[in-house]
Amino acid sequence: MNAFTSPDDLVVKPNGLSMSDDVTRMKGLLLKNIKRSAYVYRVDCGGCNGCEIEIFAAITPLFDAERFGIKVVASPRHADILLFTGAVTRAMRMPALRAYEAAPEPKIVVSYGACGCSGGIFHDLYCVWGGTDKIVPVDVYIPGCPPTPPATIYGFAVALGLLDQKLKAETYVEAEGEAVPLAHPAIPYNLRVLLEREARQMAGYRQGRDIVEEFLSLLEADDRTSVEARVGRLIGGETDPRRAEIFSRLQAVFTQALVGGVS
Amino acid sequence: MLKLLREVFRTGEATHKYPFAPIKVAKDFRGKPEHDSAQCIACAACTIACPPNAIAMQTDVAAGTRTWSISYGRCIFCGRCEESCPTGAIKLTADFELAVARKEDLTKTAVFTLARCPSCGRSVASAKEVAYVALLLGGAEASAEEAERLRLLVSTCPECKRKHDVEQVMRLDIERQMENR
Ligand code: SF4
Ligand code: SF4
Ligand code: SF4
Repeated sequence: MNAFTSPDDLVVKPNGLSMSDDVTRMKGLLLKNIKRSAYVYRVDCGGCNGCEIEIFAAITPLFDAERFGIKVVASPRHADILLFTGAVTRAMRMPALRAYEAAPEPKIVVSYGACGCSGGIFHDLYCVWGGTDKIVPVDVYIPGCPPTPPATIYGFAVALGLLDQKLKAETYVEAEGEAVPLAHPAIPYNLRVLLEREARQMAGYRQGRDIVEEFLSLLEADDRTSVEARVGRLIGGETDPRRAEIFSRLQAVFTQALVGGVS
Repeated sequence: MLKLLREVFRTGEATHKYPFAPIKVAKDFRGKPEHDSAQCIACAACTIACPPNAIAMQTDVAAGTRTWSISYGRCIFCGRCEESCPTGAIKLTADFELAVARKEDLTKTAVFTLARCPSCGRSVASAKEVAYVALLLGGAEASAEEAERLRLLVSTCPECKRKHDVEQVMRLDIERQMENR
């Protein structure tokens, strides 16, 4: 019989690394009254380096993580906090474990970025373990791809027990008879599709939606003036020539639909 | 030296006050995707669009439920879910304070009920999605009778639809009509 029955069996469970009660107690103390600088050692486990750039952005004068005594050190032997970035590639597993072993107890492990939290965009690659917690026990997760410097500072504040975490697991259950109404019921559906398509072609999905929403609310407005006059006023007040152009294109689509009828 | 001091005073303090004061994020900043579950029809467009599979759907036929879930720990904040959502149920917000100590707190789930095929009883789509599609097909203006017909049409599973088509064709009695021609 094959010894490996599932891919899960290949993952080394952090049993050998489980914390003794003593370490847990010491870690609690460290978290509660750390009265000195917290030294951070960065372990890059094979991310895209976006996270590293943001970590260094967080210690620039603009965000200045050092005002909280957070210092990046060059050796894991000096570290209180180990910052694991990247999705843990096969090649980086052993170096990461060595860095973990080299850091003195009690240590706090922070998993940084989407990659560190769960593998992120690389989660289903053949060569990654998919997250820091697959190889070492993690104390705090900082999501983001990459986390912005403020998110980094917030994460460290959570790790050091200065701030409470805001996010909570949520479960929503559909209510009885819940239904989603159609948006813009007053505007024929086919016309709305034409307008949305034009705006999205011109400005992309995200901004296109914003622009077409503005246009549709203009059409729906309880206003006695003609649509041409309303759109004219909107374009007149528009400082961005690109948006003005898109509004006039939307108006052309609208007029065309009125003349030719909406199929 | 004096010149340097003057420069220092002119620049003032550049460091942000955060976390002691709120920080202003840029316009169109892509933070935590907020799911308005009441607006969601469980159509799975976002599930397919999401590049790192942070959003997932799980269908439990026995219980008649479809569960939507998001893992903020895997999300790369690309905004494709927002782009693809037909009802605007998921939107990226300016919230970036997502760090947690327990991994479970990184997930949000929403449970929806499945609609059953009126002919065979199998589940095909969520009840909200069926109702929404019936509305889109003109159920909003239709009479009660027409709306019910639309609802039946939309909630019938593809297999039963094929069967119904065949039955209808059989009723037409093609052979006799061809002979008569
Ligand atoms: S989380 Fe995103 S930015 Fe950070 S290493 Fe992974 S891919 Fe790069
Ligand atoms: S923002 Fe991108 S990664 Fe995050 S849930 Fe939406 S589609 Fe997925
Ligand atoms: S695309 Fe929108 S409506 Fe469809 S499942 Fe996702 S959030 Fe819900």
